[in-house]
Amino acid sequence: MNDIVVLVKASLNPDMVRVGSDGSIDLASIPLKISDIDRNAVEEAVRLKEVLGGKLYAISILTWGPVASRMKDLKLAVQEALAKGVDEAFVVADDSLTPGDQATTASAVKEVLSKEGIKPALILAGEATIDEVTSQVPGRLAALLGYQYLSFVRKLELSGGKIIAERDLEDYIEVVEADLPAVISVTQEINEPRPPTLLQIRRASRKPIKELRAGDLPGIQMPLRKILGIKGIQVTRKQVIIEGSSMEEIADKLIDALIQEGVLKI
Amino acid sequence: MKVLAVAYEEKDIPELIVGTRKFVGDSANIVLLAVHKSASSGDFNINVDKVYLAETSRPEEIVAAIVKLVNEEGVSLIVGEAYKNLRDAFSRVAGQLSMPLITDATEIKLGDDRLVVKRGFLSEKAEMIAEVPLPAAVLFLPRFVKAEGVEGGQPVVTRLEELGGDSKVRLVDVKPKEVGGANLEEAEIIVGVGRGFKSREDLEMAFELAKLLNGQVGCTRPIAADLKWLSEDHWIGISGKRVSPKIYFAIGISGSPQHMSGVQSSKIIVAINKDKSAPIFKQADYGVVADLYQFLPVFIKKLKERLG
Ligand SMILES: Cc1cc2nc3c(=O)[nH]c(=O)nc-3n(C[C@H](O)[C@H](O)[C@H](O)COP(=O)(O)OP(=O)(O)OC[C@H]3O[C@@H](n4cnc5c(N)ncnc54)[C@H](O)[C@@H]3O)c2cc1C
Repeated sequence: MNDIVVLVKASLNPDMVRVGSDGSIDLASIPLKISDIDRNAVEEAVRLKEVLGGKLYAISILTWGPVASRMKDLKLAVQEALAKGVDEAFVVADDSLTPGDQATTASAVKEVLSKEGIKPALILAGEATIDEVTSQVPGRLAALLGYQYLSFVRKLELSGGKIIAERDLEDYIEVVEADLPAVISVTQEINEPRPPTLLQIRRASRKPIKELRAGDLPGIQMPLRKILGIKGIQVTRKQVIIEGSSMEEIADKLIDALIQEGVLKI
Repeated sequence: MKVLAVAYEEKDIPELIVGTRKFVGDSANIVLLAVHKSASSGDFNINVDKVYLAETSRPEEIVAAIVKLVNEEGVSLIVGEAYKNLRDAFSRVAGQLSMPLITDATEIKLGDDRLVVKRGFLSEKAEMIAEVPLPAAVLFLPRFVKAEGVEGGQPVVTRLEELGGDSKVRLVDVKPKEVGGANLEEAEIIVGVGRGFKSREDLEMAFELAKLLNGQVGCTRPIAADLKWLSEDHWIGISGKRVSPKIYFAIGISGSPQHMSGVQSSKIIVAINKDKSAPIFKQADYGVVADLYQFLPVFIKKLKERLG
């Protein structure tokens, strides 16, 4: 009961979205990458592993298919967590589960835990992932497992089997004390994740990644959500760089441009 | 169709009622659960079936109140607005009751036993339309409709006490967040500041520029959440405010998708950044490649001269 689980998502990378002239978006062409705040969760999990002294697992459920062309990105995301100090990883990738939803992801994590006989003291996740930003999976998972849930934690201490956490809620900060086990979502501000070193990356290649399919997880919730359409939003900007031989000249030209646009009145 | 509408802020009450009637239809039976500030200051002279008050903002207790009302009232749709405390509470309710939850929705449409929803996707570079079975939960983007034309009414108001919730999470301290008085949604000109500023004092330049143009100062997430140089009502982006000024000045801001999603309905975007390959320049109408410490004082001086 000293083990920790950290959730890692291979998210669609919003930096790499290309919108066609007809507003179309080809999801399959957008690469996946480890979601930014999952890095904070991994960093925190590695630190807390020293305190608890148990094993640290990563679990990743593939949301975006097709599996065949996504395995590389999924493994890269998980390998980053392994390089940072995670001991073992489980990935669930199955075309029948893609495109996934948050209900499926949370139930898949629960099923992996029960199949592998892992009873973690702590489950850490990022406050939101970069593709959908819903902040849903950790809360759902806590409800499914009957664990306590501490959301939006920006400061975390663990001592004598108790958690002291600062939760960054909507309009105030709440300091709470809780017992283990718990699910915790961390904010981007909780720490400064360091990229793994080359040596860590090399060592990680020997750590186990176990692949599971829907058939391995009997109680899994199939996706409830059906995506009917995805439309790209084209925002075209003029992208004019204002140049000049002095700051004065550039400033004057910028003021002129804004007047001409009708957004500045002088 | 019975809808449970969960209000967090006072202004949510009219928005949720107008929005629910607009999307679900006038015949919707609305049960309002007012929590947090909406419970103490809301106006309940409104056209809903019942009102329940729970004077708490703690997610654990809001979960208990929602689950109780869903069971007692036979609700098939739960709606609210996407504040962090409700994201937390709704995610647990959805897990506990095995229902889909759509967050940050801008529109919903009701079918027989399904709900079609629209939401932003990929830092608002796209829009997703999806279908989920009922019962379902939806968190709308705040201000998803204009709160106009709410009909009056005399609903029975019941106070919920002793919600309990998860007693194993003990409250040690509550620290209020600083409130700055920024009202960016209304601003016509916004001077946005990012990590290119080296100290809090230097933001003075941005405030001076904003004042000169009758505008307001906004910022990126690290300036508010990490450095705490400005209060969170200045924070723009996917986890902050969405704004639509006539001019957005992005100063010392790199142009991350999470920030830009909050400013994409600006009429004109001006970028000032010393790195000519910063992604902001591809997302701006006018760019100035310069050190802000050299450019801003000159720009302010020139504006003063020309404004007379
Ligand atoms: C789920 C999620 C949600 C998020 N939500 C938000 C959100 O709502 N809002 C938000 O803003 N961010 C959000 N972020 C964070 C976001 O990804 C970026 O990290 C953040 O926007 C970067 O802020 P910045 O541009 O101020 O800093 P940086 O990216 O560090 O950029 C600083 C820029 O300043 C320039 N600069 C430096 N010195 C000077 C100088 N002297 N003169 C001129 N230019 C200079 C640099 O060239 C650089 O381009 C979110 C992230 C995640 C993962």
